[in-house]
Amino acid sequence: MSEPFIKIENLSYLYEDDSVDNSPALEGLSLEITKGEFVAVLGHNGSGKSTLAKLLNMILTPTKGKIIIDGKDITSEALSDDDVLSLRRTVGMVFQNPDNQLVATIVEDDVAFGLENLGIPSDEIRRRVDEALSDFGMLEYAKHEPHRLSGGQKQRVAIAGVMAMRPECVIFDESTAMLDPLGRKEVLDSILKLNREKQVTVIMITHYMDEAALADRIVVLNDGKMLIDGTPSEVFEKERMLLDAGLAIPQCTELVHRLRDSGIVLDGDCVDLDDCVELIANSIKII
Amino acid sequence: MSDVRIEDLSYFHAKGTPYEIKALDEIALHIREGKITGIIGHTGSGKSTLVQMFNGILKPHSGRVLLAGEDIWKKPKDIRKVRFKVGLVMQYPEYQLFEETVYKDIAFGPKNMGLKDDEIDACVKEAAEFSDLSEELFDKSPFDLSGGQKRRVAIAGIIAMRPDILVLDEPAAGLDPRGRTAIFQNIVDYQKKSGRTVVIVSHSMEDMAKYCDDLVVMSEGKILLCGECREVFSHAEILESVGLDVPQATKLLLALKSRGFDVDCGALTVDEALEQIKKLYHN
Repeated sequence: MSEPFIKIENLSYLYEDDSVDNSPALEGLSLEITKGEFVAVLGHNGSGKSTLAKLLNMILTPTKGKIIIDGKDITSEALSDDDVLSLRRTVGMVFQNPDNQLVATIVEDDVAFGLENLGIPSDEIRRRVDEALSDFGMLEYAKHEPHRLSGGQKQRVAIAGVMAMRPECVIFDESTAMLDPLGRKEVLDSILKLNREKQVTVIMITHYMDEAALADRIVVLNDGKMLIDGTPSEVFEKERMLLDAGLAIPQCTELVHRLRDSGIVLDGDCVDLDDCVELIANSIKII
Repeated sequence: MSDVRIEDLSYFHAKGTPYEIKALDEIALHIREGKITGIIGHTGSGKSTLVQMFNGILKPHSGRVLLAGEDIWKKPKDIRKVRFKVGLVMQYPEYQLFEETVYKDIAFGPKNMGLKDDEIDACVKEAAEFSDLSEELFDKSPFDLSGGQKRRVAIAGIIAMRPDILVLDEPAAGLDPRGRTAIFQNIVDYQKKSGRTVVIVSHSMEDMAKYCDDLVVMSEGKILLCGECREVFSHAEILESVGLDVPQATKLLLALKSRGFDVDCGALTVDEALEQIKKLYHN
């Protein structure tokens, strides 16, 4: 097996705070993520999800432990400023609130912002901005004012801005939490696209179980520690554990579990609606 | 106790400028007394503009807002009184916490209403109980609480004004599944115990189906559908045409029906869908 793209070893983080009951936001977390993987991170409020994201992007420095990205130890003190910049470019981030991450007054300027900071030649900027906008269906809005766009459109501009910097990994920190159903779908489609077509590694933090079901793998955090790590169907099988950790399972999975509890035989995994319809339809045919 | 009636209401953003947009277009609506009414609609459909009409934050350009039968703009100078009668909990209300202690923060509204100290105390305690906040938290700084607790304090601050109508904009946004359920259960209990009118704006069809009596669907500044929750969710095609959806349980039954199974697609929750599907096995 090849070296993992991201290797997290025994990672801990303690926020500086005077209170007595201050416990670490992350404690002894170890995790390996391969290149091109799509990993969803679940966990209750305060479980350490966002802290993990900030550590990966070097917004925070760990109290203990190591993070190695693409062979480089990003927690090493010997890191030069150039290394830091290049690593930040490697790992992009899209946040929750669409209104807090757009800085320019015109959409295309916003997408160009990161590139300008990197000192990229202007004709290259032009090319990358157009490409990123077109990839995420926002080219026709290039000259629009960001504040007049819908939430889903704003998030797609944010995604285009991150993607224009050609990151190898993008972290989404509850990027759909403030969107309506259509906006959520737009953003999720974009995430799947950059993962499947551009082979970008995706780490998606979410509270929505049906979004997590789209990932290759789900990591569940509880009180700063790893609780479960597995494929969506493996994770959703552990219903009791998830409920105890303040989480839930998708409604369709819950329904299949309850049908099974009542003695109906349903063979196979169920993480989404299509699985559920298929399982039920097949089992009735057999009867 | 009161209901809200909206008559022929229109409102424009940036009226009189080249950027003028019709945000609400001749809306007529009745919010029933003592019920939980949900409002859904995509971003920019006019939901937030509509709820800001209920307590007079915005003034209609034409039409009327009747609170318990009274036009709220009849005496514009008295609009402040309307704001105490209709309590509006904004999105992410915890960002508006500002006092030194939880108690003071919850007491801020009643204090502004000019109530006496003992009345304020009664309001604060009642609101804290409704919001499931123990009195041990009263002397703590609201900023030392968890996200879910902060949100509860912010909601208690509005409930403490004993509003006839409580309006909440996305009360569960950003909370984990357990926090979501807890907040909604609080709201339902509050409605049952107080008998007051509640309006909830949300993007979650599952939550709306589970907790609301009535449902209003907005699109492009107009009311697209309104009525009892079950009735509104029976129009899956109309909802999908404006970027909305039906709850997952309903979607599942619709999918089974399209595969030729004989199911009633009126189910909105997992429990109801389960009953329908079990019937398939028994036949």
